[in-house]
Amino acid sequence: MDYIGFLIFFGVMVGIALVMISLNWLFGPRTPQEYEDYPYECGVPLYDKSAQTTFHQGYYLLGLLLLLFDIEAAFLFPWTVVYRWLGVFGFIEMFLFILILTYGLLYAWRKGALNWQFEMEEV
Amino acid sequence: MESVVAGVVIAVIKILVILGIVLGVGAYLTWVERKVAAHIQRRPGPMVVGWHGLLQPIADGLKLITKEDLFPRYGNKFLYNLAIVLALVPATLVFAVVPFGPEFELFGYRIKPILTDVNVALLLVFGLGSLAVYAIAIAGWASNSKYPLIGSMRKAGIIISYEVAITFAVMGPLILAGTLSTYEIVQRQIEQNLWYIWVQPIAFVVFLFSLLAETGRVPFDIQEAEAELVTGFTVEYGGMKFGLFPLVEWYVEVLSLSAIAVVLFFGGWSPINIPFMGFVDPLFFLGPFSPYVWFLLKVTVLFLFILWLHWTLPRYRIDQITEIAWKVMLPLALINIVLTAIIAPVVWR
Repeated sequence: MDYIGFLIFFGVMVGIALVMISLNWLFGPRTPQEYEDYPYECGVPLYDKSAQTTFHQGYYLLGLLLLLFDIEAAFLFPWTVVYRWLGVFGFIEMFLFILILTYGLLYAWRKGALNWQFEMEEV
Repeated sequence: MESVVAGVVIAVIKILVILGIVLGVGAYLTWVERKVAAHIQRRPGPMVVGWHGLLQPIADGLKLITKEDLFPRYGNKFLYNLAIVLALVPATLVFAVVPFGPEFELFGYRIKPILTDVNVALLLVFGLGSLAVYAIAIAGWASNSKYPLIGSMRKAGIIISYEVAITFAVMGPLILAGTLSTYEIVQRQIEQNLWYIWVQPIAFVVFLFSLLAETGRVPFDIQEAEAELVTGFTVEYGGMKFGLFPLVEWYVEVLSLSAIAVVLFFGGWSPINIPFMGFVDPLFFLGPFSPYVWFLLKVTVLFLFILWLHWTLPRYRIDQITEIAWKVMLPLALINIVLTAIIAPVVWR
């Protein structure tokens, strides 16, 4: 019952988004020209038609780190809510957890995973 | 049955109010930003359309609507349009859990000025916030052009770095409040006579940095980088489709995250706080409207602060931005959690 408003809001927003998408199709002029839908690349012909190839591996590493630490965050959220009723036991438990977490962060730091991955770093 | 109908009617009214705030105020914030930016740089800004350029947002909107509907020829049409839906919908849905004021009674119904007062509100905020990454990554990928791809990857990298910092930062206030509901967090701050900013300055700084990074504001606007990337992942978007991305990123998201920051750190709708003593309300003469005015005032001040930063600071490099997130912000947030856990009993008493 709490979420009824949220669901209605979701439906309304999806509707608005669809309207926004079709506005240009409805009101815009239609004057097709040969190169108007050509991908932007400084005005020169494309060397490669598709840009969907490999990209910088540093982003992949960031994604891995996000997965690890966001899972830790998911474990910490319930603890923050009930910490008031857990007392000293809760504090020591979570202090150890955060200590291990920090150790993991320091390990990644030492390994150089937190550095931005330049491709020419060793040169 | 009657209560269900009343609930739906009240929900629809609240949605209309939120839509007015988000889309109306959101559109007019473009004018505010241009004026503020202009006066920071000692020039008048928009002056032609209407009095002091007051009709400028409408003129801009009309211009955007009447552009030709273009689509990059090698792109993926479905994903291209899906990115717009994914950008607009989650960012606006965050307002569903923003409490604008205290509960009041009208025609015998008890109404909370918050669309859905659920007990996992903050998890909802971060769940929806994470969806912004998909919008940006998909927008860059579906355009199938090199500059958008680079821009979207940069932006996605920054968002996921600061996503971690912001989730650990909000845990400080959560420990003190002991609840995830935004409405309850404000109530606890009023009961404890304490804005959490007084005991959570570190968390607030980390939150503010993450806010700037996630919304692509200066000094973290590397995905824009007009000089090298020609506005990043929006290069292949035109007309209203292009207009939506800056609207969502720069205004809707900044507003929603500012509102969440006010709820977490500045006591929502409560007046000025003296730590552990009580509240002073210089706006007492407004009577029942004073909480709403306070809430809007705090959000406005935070928004103007972000604008001030935007038009004053230079830009960081991408490697500096992500390294700040992991090497400074994350350790600070972790230390803050432990410190908060130690001082929390003093706040609860």
